[in-house]
Amino acid sequence: MSSCCGNDTSCKKSTIKAEKGEIKVAIVGQPNVGKSSIINALSNAKLHVGNFSGVTVEKKEVYVEKNGYDILMTDLPGIYAFNAYTPEEQVAKDFLIKEDYDLIMNVVDANTLSRNLIFTMQLLDMHKKMILVVNMVDEIEKRDGNINKKRIEELLGIPVILTSAKRNRGVDEIIDCIIDTYDVNIAKNKIYYNEKIEQRIEDLAKILRKSQHFRDKDYSRFIAIRLLDRDENIYKIIHDLPIFIEAHKALEKMYAKLEAEFDEDSTTDILANERVAIARNLQMEAVDTQEKESLSEKIDNFLIHPILGLPIFLFFMWALFQLTFVLGNYPMNIISVIFSETSAFLADFLPKGVFNSVLTDGVLPAVGAIVMFLPNILILFLGLNLLEQTGYMSRAAYLLDGFMKRFGLQGKAFVPLVSGFGCTVPAYMAARTLKNPKDRIITMLVLNFMSCGARLPIYVLLVSAFFANENPGNILFFIYIGGATLGLIVAKILRIVLFKGEPEPFVMEIPPYRFPSLKALGMDLWIKTKMFLKKAGSFIAIAAMIIWFLSAYPTNGDMVQKYDAKVEHASSAQQKEQLKNELDSKLLENSYLGSVGKFIEPIFAPLGMDWRLSVAVVAGLSAKEVVVSALGTLYSMGGANETNKGLIAKIRANVDFKAAIALIIIIMIYSPCLAAMGTFYAEIPQWAWRVFYTIYPNVVAWLMAFGVYKTLALMGY
Amino acid sequence: MKNISDLKIDEEGKVARVIAKEPVKSRLLSMGIVKGAKIKVVAHTLARQTWDILSDNTKVALREEEARCILVEETK
Repeated sequence: MSSCCGNDTSCKKSTIKAEKGEIKVAIVGQPNVGKSSIINALSNAKLHVGNFSGVTVEKKEVYVEKNGYDILMTDLPGIYAFNAYTPEEQVAKDFLIKEDYDLIMNVVDANTLSRNLIFTMQLLDMHKKMILVVNMVDEIEKRDGNINKKRIEELLGIPVILTSAKRNRGVDEIIDCIIDTYDVNIAKNKIYYNEKIEQRIEDLAKILRKSQHFRDKDYSRFIAIRLLDRDENIYKIIHDLPIFIEAHKALEKMYAKLEAEFDEDSTTDILANERVAIARNLQMEAVDTQEKESLSEKIDNFLIHPILGLPIFLFFMWALFQLTFVLGNYPMNIISVIFSETSAFLADFLPKGVFNSVLTDGVLPAVGAIVMFLPNILILFLGLNLLEQTGYMSRAAYLLDGFMKRFGLQGKAFVPLVSGFGCTVPAYMAARTLKNPKDRIITMLVLNFMSCGARLPIYVLLVSAFFANENPGNILFFIYIGGATLGLIVAKILRIVLFKGEPEPFVMEIPPYRFPSLKALGMDLWIKTKMFLKKAGSFIAIAAMIIWFLSAYPTNGDMVQKYDAKVEHASSAQQKEQLKNELDSKLLENSYLGSVGKFIEPIFAPLGMDWRLSVAVVAGLSAKEVVVSALGTLYSMGGANETNKGLIAKIRANVDFKAAIALIIIIMIYSPCLAAMGTFYAEIPQWAWRVFYTIYPNVVAWLMAFGVYKTLALMGY
Repeated sequence: MKNISDLKIDEEGKVARVIAKEPVKSRLLSMGIVKGAKIKVVAHTLARQTWDILSDNTKVALREEEARCILVEETK
């Protein structure tokens, strides 16, 4: 097994040696217990976000220095139990079992303590140093409840901290507690099962200890428990060892005996019942709480109402796209003016030459064309984040499950699909919550139909150019719904043709509504902005530069001279201007980019798209932002010195309505950017699927665009 | 014996047995749906395809197929 850091850069920090050494902490908890808000609330913590080596699961590391210790905390993906279910839970489980760390910090939700404790007990089986963080105690207290910290400590034998990350209570005690627990020599956990079970555990552990791998008393006990729990991962570990035959025989006997003694179908159930009993007992002894109808339930009476639920959901989505367009429009105009003014000013101010042209014709219009859309993208992300953090997203999954099932998808697939409206890359990763491989591949194959944030600028540009008189927000909503509908239809076709069989079972926790943390929302938007600007300033700027060079060379001196002569003889200023434009577009046509465009033009010609649009579409495979920036460069050159007129007006003047619609359809459907494609390849190892994934969206895109183009032509547009 | 999909909205019950197969059974367990747990139907969709169940302060969404795997003894 590779080390926890892998090729992660965070390893380098160990060069700074602390006096007393390093404490490695694994932060574990079930989903929705507020682990990330605890991490956000820790003071003096340095956060590092990376990936678990080899997999695309986000790995958050928190680094704190205190009392001479370097404390490195790894936040593991939420995990319900060791009976791992999703790939993300598997990552957490593998880390807990195979990696090297000193202490477990188990975070639980005070509101659902007893079911959280079932997993806590599985962790306690490891006999590692451990602390228990009981979060959201304020919510218990608000209901006049009370949690007896001392009693839990006595019963479990590990230190307990009561926290409320939201109220910033108790969070900083965590670090002290970690240090104190680390300094103590022995782990004191003391959960024991029924005698009959304990006897079998000891017998099995004895056999295991014959192998050099399980010499350690605590470790052999843990492995024995996992084996009795019918843990397949652990079974595989012992499968290749010499003691396997003996252990296997003993196990089979124990399974049969225990199942008969306890009258249960499986030893898994026996252990589960044991843990449930202990957890309930603990809950009774240590927690005093009143049940009250919570605000959450009152809201749910309305939001997941059998009849009103779906219309409300659709309204939310519609409102989100309205806001994206309407609110985003104001800063967009300002940014657009700033960029065109700057570029006009620099064009006059800087000495004439290649550098001037690259900057003012190539890079600035391209970067400007894309930065312009930052507000739209931020509004969309903020909206999606809000829906996620408040807990509404899982309600939507609940509401839509029946509908999704008809298309061969399941309700949980809704979350990656909606994330797809933000960015396809994390959406592919979110598809990991789907356990069934068929469900997962179908979801991932149609995810691309959910137009990502980077495609938004292209839509906004085209919609502004051609639908300014209608309600642009509605058109935008229609584009997104259209893409989503198409995705569902394709999912249904895939389910019928390629993936027969039942979709996976649907069991999903619906967390209570929570007020979103403004700090987390703000942080997220700030990170998005930073990354977006960085991308615009580096990747997009370079792509624009390449496109500019390709479009400015080879220079054609003869033609320039010919036209210069014509211009001199021209009678009116208007004629001069016209000749200049003619020269510019001739030059562009004869450039390298023109040749490339001409070469691929036949593919796009049946869609009414000229070579410029063709180039922009193909360039969009690198990143969708490049489509707009390429158009910015291509049209700013053709129209020479008309920067103030703006790209929208130029597109309107130069692109046919039918072709624009065809372009929108192509953008909606064809392959996502390279980063997304790379993520898909990383997630799906089968070559057949990779090839299919790479080809089919482009074919579908072309056919759809062609059909719509022809239909519009027949209708007389 | 009754199962969850026989209950009406706001009706309560006590789980008598969970007859789901693994891994669904373990998943239900980690959400607090085990023998002896008190459960309440919070909502279901119009077509009764998806169910919202409250147990141990946790709301869980289930499909009808899973809901049928959770047998309940009635309480008043």
